[in-house]
Amino acid sequence: MATLLPVPAVEYAGGTLAGEQVSLWRDGVRRLRRNKLALAAAIYLMVLALVCLLSLFWTPYKPNLIGTCVTYALPTGAHPLGCDDLGRDSLSRLMVGSQVSLAVGLATAFIVLVIGVALGLVAGYFRGAVDALISLATNIFYGVPPLLVAVALYVLLGPSLINIIIAISATGWMDMARLARGQALSIREREFIEAARSGGARAGKIVFGHIMPNALGPIIVQATFVIPAAILTAAFLTFLGFGVPPPTADWGGMASEGLPSLQGGFDPYILLWPAVALSVTLLAFNFFGDGLRDAFDPRQKR
Amino acid sequence: MLTRGTLIYIGQRLVLIVFTVLVVSFGVFAVVHSLPGNAFVSDRVHGTALQILLHQYGLDQPIPVQYWNFLKGLVHGNLGVSLYIRDLPITPLVLRELSVSAMLGGAALIVTIGLGITFGVLAAVRQNTWVDYLLTSIAVVGYSVPSFVIASLGILIFGQWLNNVSHGAFFYPEPWTGTYGTLAELSLPAIALGFYTSGQITRITRASMLEVIQQDYIRTARAKGLENRIVIIRHALRNALVPVTSILGPTVIGIITGSVVIENIFGIPGLGKEFVESIFQHDYNVTVGVFTIYAVLIGFANLTVDLVYTVIDPRIRY
Repeated sequence: MATLLPVPAVEYAGGTLAGEQVSLWRDGVRRLRRNKLALAAAIYLMVLALVCLLSLFWTPYKPNLIGTCVTYALPTGAHPLGCDDLGRDSLSRLMVGSQVSLAVGLATAFIVLVIGVALGLVAGYFRGAVDALISLATNIFYGVPPLLVAVALYVLLGPSLINIIIAISATGWMDMARLARGQALSIREREFIEAARSGGARAGKIVFGHIMPNALGPIIVQATFVIPAAILTAAFLTFLGFGVPPPTADWGGMASEGLPSLQGGFDPYILLWPAVALSVTLLAFNFFGDGLRDAFDPRQKR
Repeated sequence: MLTRGTLIYIGQRLVLIVFTVLVVSFGVFAVVHSLPGNAFVSDRVHGTALQILLHQYGLDQPIPVQYWNFLKGLVHGNLGVSLYIRDLPITPLVLRELSVSAMLGGAALIVTIGLGITFGVLAAVRQNTWVDYLLTSIAVVGYSVPSFVIASLGILIFGQWLNNVSHGAFFYPEPWTGTYGTLAELSLPAIALGFYTSGQITRITRASMLEVIQQDYIRTARAKGLENRIVIIRHALRNALVPVTSILGPTVIGIITGSVVIENIFGIPGLGKEFVESIFQHDYNVTVGVFTIYAVLIGFANLTVDLVYTVIDPRIRY
């Protein structure tokens, strides 16, 4: 790239080539659109969100009503996914179960975003003793298995959806904090931060007004990976029996209720449906996150 | 290799491990002792009888005193006695369960590393062909699908559909036999456990292989007429493994965490099963003991990984 070639003024239906200047975001969205897998994942997630909203108002049968049909009924016309061990309609429960997964995923991502980014940016910007303290806390949390801490917290706080979210957030913020810290460490050395500082900006203004907007790209990409991780941890918790209290339907709990009938060898469907729903949802979030990262952070492209 | 700097580094890490274990065990101690109810709820004892029981196990003392007693025992390797199966010493119990879990985890680690590196190398060598797409898709499926789903599918396929064929070798509906199970019984849990973490290893191996393959010394090796297989395995893979080692820590933690679920599905008498049972049984001492062992285990796993890092890449010094 020693010499600059003269740019030929190409004209086409959409105007001149030189006139086509797009912002980073629009460029990213365009690249995301070209990624068919990510697009399919996004469409699935939208459908899932609609189903979740629908289930708040309507389900084919009452999801917790025992005896809507014969227990362990295999799929039929009236009950397309069959019934569970208490004769509850599996389709209705599957629809309602999406509420727990989406609520846990989104709420955890939000909490992790707030805590992780705040701690990470502060540690990276101030360095020194503050950084040492926050890094020590991070290392201690890295030193224990997240699922077990979540179990302990959950047992302490008692069974409810909110407590699952708290327990998972408390064990999932470290990666975000580390990422934000790294970003802050590198951005704080740039000229515009020096300019802001010499202009008399306070530390809070510099951290959250100048550093944060510039670190947002990788942070948002990381946040999209927090959602499937949180749903997965919640599924593990509910599968082990530390879930939302019965009779509320959630996919992990439904899968664990279905395990005995699978092992008994008479009805694999009770476990199959929530397992498929969980797997497809997690796949969709991961594919979408991959697409998002490739689109907005091309340097990390595999 | 063991320079003064390395020794100081190991010392610092050991101090951090001790500190972590103290913080974690105190946290869990405080949590389990502030739970509603007490350890003897299921015995339906009340009044004076309950007080006598609580006094006998030192549960009537203030929590800091109880924790101090726990620490004094811990220094001697004594984790106390079980409150559920009265007076059963915990240390031998937990150590036996740890050996079972370690066997399962070791098998899963072999599955994970074997699958992950093989898939990653194959995908990189055949970049942008159907092999690459297939293997990367399997990797994404690997870290998206919960291990209990893989385990259930395995039970369905091997335990139900193929049961008549293999005459019980893969019969999973029953919990496994004996303390350590048989090799056939071990295989499915190990694969279900290892498959999840293998996805991330595939990803990283592929990415770092792609980077290494483009480098000049690989071209040199090819130019002097080496067989492609030798170039890939001996020259490229060796250097591509450095980034892979860096995620071995999270991989080990993933396997330890995942074993809690897998052990409960397959009825494996390991640490993870004990952990869940002890919580449901209000067996405080066992919960705290298991948690402490987990914290020590993860601390040393991370330290080992960081030291392996220096062996694989001599440029790294602490």
